[in-house]
Amino acid sequence: MDSKTKKVLSELQDGFKLETKPFTRIAKELNTTEEEVIDIIKDSLNSGIVRRIGLAVRPEKIGFEENALIAWQVSQDKIEEVGEDLAKINEISHCYERDCPPNWPYNLFTMVHTKSAQDLERLIEDIKNKHNLSNYKVYRTKKEFKKTSMRYFND
Amino acid sequence: MMDEKDREIIQLLQDKFPLVSEPYKEIGDKIWMDEVSVISRIARMIQDGAIRHFGPFFDSKKLGYIGCLAAVNVPDDRVEAVAAVINKFDEVTHNYLRDGVPNLWFTVIAQSAERREEIFAQIKKEAQIDEILTFSSKRTFKVRVNL
Repeated sequence: MDSKTKKVLSELQDGFKLETKPFTRIAKELNTTEEEVIDIIKDSLNSGIVRRIGLAVRPEKIGFEENALIAWQVSQDKIEEVGEDLAKINEISHCYERDCPPNWPYNLFTMVHTKSAQDLERLIEDIKNKHNLSNYKVYRTKKEFKKTSMRYFND
Repeated sequence: MMDEKDREIIQLLQDKFPLVSEPYKEIGDKIWMDEVSVISRIARMIQDGAIRHFGPFFDSKKLGYIGCLAAVNVPDDRVEAVAAVINKFDEVTHNYLRDGVPNLWFTVIAQSAERREEIFAQIKKEAQIDEILTFSSKRTFKVRVNL
């Protein structure tokens, strides 16, 4: 990564400063043009270093009362089909196949957010029945100790 | 409380911040709102905590980092103390108490495998924990669209 890209991304990593012309200000600070700042950001999106630019909300603040990590045991021959299908569900924000410790059978991890405990139960039932999954663990969120975005660039 | 306009702004800004000179003006034009109102609504939602992060989301793998989900099982009376030890590390980005066994789940994003092991070793020592279960991702089917 060249030093200009690093500077632009570093400038943005803590989030936008809510100013009418954010890229003009960054360009001035880095002694370049607004066009170049925007091009650098577009390049970073194209290369995938930046996954997206936008916002993340706190689920519990927008009406998702029930948040849970649910880990499912899915056989290798079905994992792709099930993983891709669960990824389509609105209430599921994250879905990963993970390498697990010995004696840990639940290999497909999902983060689930629903408006109520009832909705969560209903969603679990639907998934169980559709994919014939009988072995799973539900880890309901009890308390958030930390949730931050990683800072990749040192100032 | 959020209203319909707030929801529209969230919807529009989920993953497509306009890369133009006056991005808030462009957002505002889409929902019949001036840019100052758009900015002040976003500011309010950040203040309320409804918006957790507003900016770029990086791909840690592409930046050479190694991410990992980890879990420890801690008795109720030690949860706060252990969570505090875990939270000390900048590389720990998420840390949640959950129902079930294990009960404390956290994520580590480290610059190398060595650094990650170092963090685990320090947590074990300082928090007096015997075992940290680790779950590294093998395949990503979905990663946060908006949550």
